[in-house]
Amino acid sequence: MNARKIMIIAKKEFMDNVRNKWLIVITAILLLMTIASSIAAGGGEIGEMEATVTTLITLSSMFLPIIGIMLGYGTITGEVENGALSVVLSYPVKRIDVILGKFLGLSCVIFVSVLSGFGIAGLVISLATSATQWKGYLLFMLLAMLLGMLYVSLSLFFSAILKRRATSLGAGIFIFFWGMIIGTIWIGIYAATGGSIADLYTGKASFPEWFWYELFLSPQDGNQTATLLAFGIKKIMGISLDMPSWVNLGTIIFSQLLWTVTPLILAIIFFRRRDI
Amino acid sequence: MNKEYVIETRDLTKRFGDVVAVDNLSINVRKGEIYGFLGPNGAGKTTTIKIILGLIYPTEGEVYINGEKMHPDNIEIKKEIGFLPERVSFYRNLTPVQTLNFFCELKEVDKSIVPRLLKEMGLENYANRKVGTFSKGMIQLLGFAQAMIGSPSIYILDEPSSGLDARWVKTIREKIRYLNEKGATVMFSSHILSEVQALCDRVCVIDKGHLIAEDTIENLNKKLNIKPKLIIKVGGKAKISSKDIEEIEGVDNVEIKDNEITVVCDGKRKLQIIEEIKDKGIAIEDFQTIEPSVEDVFVKLLEEEK
Repeated sequence: MNARKIMIIAKKEFMDNVRNKWLIVITAILLLMTIASSIAAGGGEIGEMEATVTTLITLSSMFLPIIGIMLGYGTITGEVENGALSVVLSYPVKRIDVILGKFLGLSCVIFVSVLSGFGIAGLVISLATSATQWKGYLLFMLLAMLLGMLYVSLSLFFSAILKRRATSLGAGIFIFFWGMIIGTIWIGIYAATGGSIADLYTGKASFPEWFWYELFLSPQDGNQTATLLAFGIKKIMGISLDMPSWVNLGTIIFSQLLWTVTPLILAIIFFRRRDI
Repeated sequence: MNKEYVIETRDLTKRFGDVVAVDNLSINVRKGEIYGFLGPNGAGKTTTIKIILGLIYPTEGEVYINGEKMHPDNIEIKKEIGFLPERVSFYRNLTPVQTLNFFCELKEVDKSIVPRLLKEMGLENYANRKVGTFSKGMIQLLGFAQAMIGSPSIYILDEPSSGLDARWVKTIREKIRYLNEKGATVMFSSHILSEVQALCDRVCVIDKGHLIAEDTIENLNKKLNIKPKLIIKVGGKAKISSKDIEEIEGVDNVEIKDNEITVVCDGKRKLQIIEEIKDKGIAIEDFQTIEPSVEDVFVKLLEEEK
């Protein structure tokens, strides 16, 4: 491993991808929708940060995975197909440095996107309102960055093991919907095993303990819940977040880090042995 | 280990499932030569080149570069190599300067060479344009500039003239010759056989992954007994049958078309053959000798292989 080579690759990835027109479009949408959701939460005026958060988590858990997948899915397969990667690997650089450099560079793109999207919107909201929960908002942005990095890592893994750009895009779409759909499956199992969804809203019942494992299986849901916990929100859409003690901000962040590091390690292992 | 060999492959085999892309291939490229790597489409040229560079793992066999065993993470060997793949495309959102700066950094070479490299490849006026807007030919020229970073001692070029117009084909050809004159060893694959003939000291022909021949074009001509052609233009329609010419000693084959007679013959008897045709009452207006080309060698080798 060579830190200098990793930084060179990271810089190139950053410079190439930060100018990606789709990234710029999605970041602009993120910025506008954050301000719009704040106005909606404030009943026509810019609303307080906490009221805005429930909308923000939907935006974050939708857009950051999309950005992460968009950046990562073609980073290996695409460059294998167009020949650029064979040029890079003919240079004095190790394959592990290429993977780590790509991950680092693309993660920096995520940081810039979150800072320009949510950061600027946060600034606008804080200027227009009084008591801003800056600590919570900062944590929310960090969690959004982590979610983006997680999906960069996942899509980079698929890009490293699959042969074609189109297949790695397919895998990216699959992992996006995996995170979206697993909650619905869990609700289905809950209802099928005699649980009442109506009782959840009226507070007569709360989720059984097994239900909370879902937060560790769906990166999007885990990240949403972590944000709510960061803001100290105990109820969402009328359902109380009555969690067992093992579901807390620490365990969720730990699981999100595992979701990020594991695919990255696997990508390094598989990429070492693959034909370019 | 032969120290003269800059690139050496030993019993190289690569299988993709049931498909044998490279089959027990042993070739060697000598220090300071221009080595043409030929074969029909799908012969295994690109796979072999990629194995040499450590981009593809061989199923069996080994590659030695400057006498050292090649493996994908061999940093020192890679410093000596300049590589241009076939149909490369670079990073769409970077300019050529940023692209070459990136490769200079990777090879730990001073970036001050970048403007000169761009000028040499005729890209100086596009230095700040995004590579995504470049034509195929311009990207190929940028690829060639990239290969020259760090003045490597070995160049491995996969179809270097692919996608270029005639003017730039000439530039690339001159560049290859210049790099070779300065001491670099060049191995390149090409489907433009005239280019190979104009440049190469030795050629290697492979088909279906295995070696058919490896030698100088001259030696291959001799071995294959490929003879030169005489193209004779006569006044008016040739009033002679091909049988009459075939009787002449040293003539192998004759074709007559309107006022043009094509004679495949023994190289040492060309002048006598012309004289004897004249003696048969044919008024020769002009004639031309076509020496055996690499194309003839290539076709004959592939035919023999079948």
